[in-house]
Amino acid sequence: MANKLIITNRIRELRFFTGEMTQQQLAKVTGVSRQTILAIEAGKYSPSLELAFLIADAFKVKIDEVFTFEKDRDTGKESVHDKK
Amino acid sequence: MPTQEVPMAFKEKRTIVTIATGILILLAYCRQSFGRPVVETATDVILKAQAVTMLKFIGIGVLAMIVIQILFHILYSISLAVSSTIKKGSCTDEEIEEAIAFEVIDDERDKIIELKSLRAGFVITGTGFVASLLWLVMDGSPAQVLNIIFMSFALGSILEGFTRLFYYSR
Repeated sequence: MANKLIITNRIRELRFFTGEMTQQQLAKVTGVSRQTILAIEAGKYSPSLELAFLIADAFKVKIDEVFTFEKDRDTGKESVHDKK
Repeated sequence: MPTQEVPMAFKEKRTIVTIATGILILLAYCRQSFGRPVVETATDVILKAQAVTMLKFIGIGVLAMIVIQILFHILYSISLAVSSTIKKGSCTDEEIEEAIAFEVIDDERDKIIELKSLRAGFVITGTGFVASLLWLVMDGSPAQVLNIIFMSFALGSILEGFTRLFYYSR
């Protein structure tokens, strides 16, 4: 059976540290609608690789500082960031 | 992660308007079409009359959609201007145009939702087409077969709208 990936993000936190950037401003920079940013931030939608890079670029950070994924949470395996 | 309530966007409101228009047109078609007596034998005259009714309603449907979408855009612009004026005290035409242009952006999520909803619509349309053929095999009236095909297209379009709303709200 395929492992379920759980993608989490730090967009809300990064927006706060970027002068409380609004969702509207982030949407404008990345060229998507505010609803899409809202859905990504709430974890309801996983963006494409291109959009993920654009979001990371908007915060001037690397993509893995914005998005992280975990696999096999049920079996207690570590997340990709815990391995570092 | 705390879940955040996603406010209804322009596209969702537009989809609701499209669904409502589609339902009204379908109801009007049913009223017009089912008011006629059912004739079992297919004659060129009966089928031609049915085809004329269907073409008439396709025309009405396209026109109604265009007019209602234009009205919706106008009303939405007015509501944006009013809410912006209440919030900021003033609002220019450029600001409204920019806000509308920003709302109608078709991004990757919209495209995925569109594909999923189109697929749901095609399922209904396809099922309706097969049902119409079965109806014909079971000695159904050819005029009713045309009705089933027309209605499956209309229902497919309505279901497409509901599916779109479902994915937007998820």
